Amino acid sequence: MNLRFVISANCFCLLIACAATTISAQALDISSGGQPTITGTIGGSVTGSASVLNNLVVTINFGEVSPANTNAIVKVVVPIGIRSTQPYQVSVSLAGLGNANPQAIQASDIGFGAANIRAMGNQSQVCTLSSHIFYPPFNNDPASTVTIAANGRVTYQSSLSNIAGATVILSGPRLKKTNGPNRGTNDGYIFDAIFAITPQFFAAGVSSATLTFTISAGPNVPC
Amino acid sequence: MDTKTTPIIMRALLFTILLVAFAATAFAQTTTGTVSMSATVSKFVEFNSGGAITLSGNSGGGITTDGVVDNPLAASINLGELGPSNTNSFVTASVPLKLRSNAAYVLSMSATVTSTGSTSNKIVNTDVGFGLGSVTRSGTGVNTGGSDTNATSGDPTLAGNGSVNAGTGRYEYTAVKSNLSAFSASTTALNGAFILNAVPRSNNNGLTVPAIFAVKPQFYENGSTTVSVTFTVTTP
Repeated sequence: MNLRFVISANCFCLLIACAATTISAQALDISSGGQPTITGTIGGSVTGSASVLNNLVVTINFGEVSPANTNAIVKVVVPIGIRSTQPYQVSVSLAGLGNANPQAIQASDIGFGAANIRAMGNQSQVCTLSSHIFYPPFNNDPASTVTIAANGRVTYQSSLSNIAGATVILSGPRLKKTNGPNRGTNDGYIFDAIFAITPQFFAAGVSSATLTFTISAGPNVPC
Repeated sequence: MDTKTTPIIMRALLFTILLVAFAATAFAQTTTGTVSMSATVSKFVEFNSGGAITLSGNSGGGITTDGVVDNPLAASINLGELGPSNTNSFVTASVPLKLRSNAAYVLSMSATVTSTGSTSNKIVNTDVGFGLGSVTRSGTGVNTGGSDTNATSGDPTLAGNGSVNAGTGRYEYTAVKSNLSAFSASTTALNGAFILNAVPRSNNNGLTVPAIFAVKPQFYENGSTTVSVTFTVTTP
């Protein structure tokens, strides 16, 4: 093997790496969108990173949701950061919350909606030909869409029960101006995932669930 | 490959690897994120007045502090004259109770009876009849299929729940848990299945049951008598 061949091979590898870099820069990113907040709780909490540079890893403890919690509703707002250099969509999938007792907390008892998309900063791409669209029925603040069903149980315009497999909740055009691969503090958009649960005479117990938010290539809309 | 070329190749390869690794690190991008959530529901029970008290057969007396529906029960009743000058068969007070729970419940009661008299003819706890009436589970959100067990014998004035003692001539409440002597210590009066389905606290429905107290006017020793009753609901 002569030196010229080896150097050529190395250059080829570098080109591949550069191409990979370019491809990855066209990819999509989801991150924390800021500090999550919780209101109306007794003994609950929400943890997550306040930095938009960190991954989206949020833990919500709604706390006590029996009638011992006399607040009208427990509400959690989770800001989610999204970046892309191409049209995107955000989907959600649900795991857990399979209570057999119908009086225990069900997926329909946790209101879930998405709203309030806003630019991170001056490197956020402002597109005039397409809008960012929250998909119905999720386009609401569930704390504001509480109704009482005929059986007396609280319902919401949208809840975790509306999630079936990977369910798209948001899509839109390109989100960032630059093609650079790094996460910035000003180069994408933030939207709020909003969760709400009304304290009720649920059957006693502890319930848990995990939502996975995924950003992927979306409908090919112009910017 | 000669010995001079090898280090050059190795350096070039190392440089390439480092470059790729750096690029991968610099992306710091991910396409998924997670939100984990949990919530706790503790056993809950609520005990309130079920509404206004009914007093009947009294001579004098009256309801000093009435019950107010959906408010804590803190009633006070003056049964009036319980001597033979009251010619009614019974002086009866019916106190509506209201229970709400998300779990099986137990309603217990304890009672004390104190009289100023000094003889066995004073009013004592066996002279105060007691029983829980019909249990009602109705309304939106109520677990109407839930069953309840009434440990008392119901309305103490029912003919089957008491009679005049043939030997002493004193009227006695003879049925099971039909007078306050059965509740000198905290004793279960009623228990049952969870009362409310998953509905918010603003839903005012629940289980209602009247607590019925009765005293038959007799030749009791004169004086005054105080009856104090405490209800307790738990979710064991």
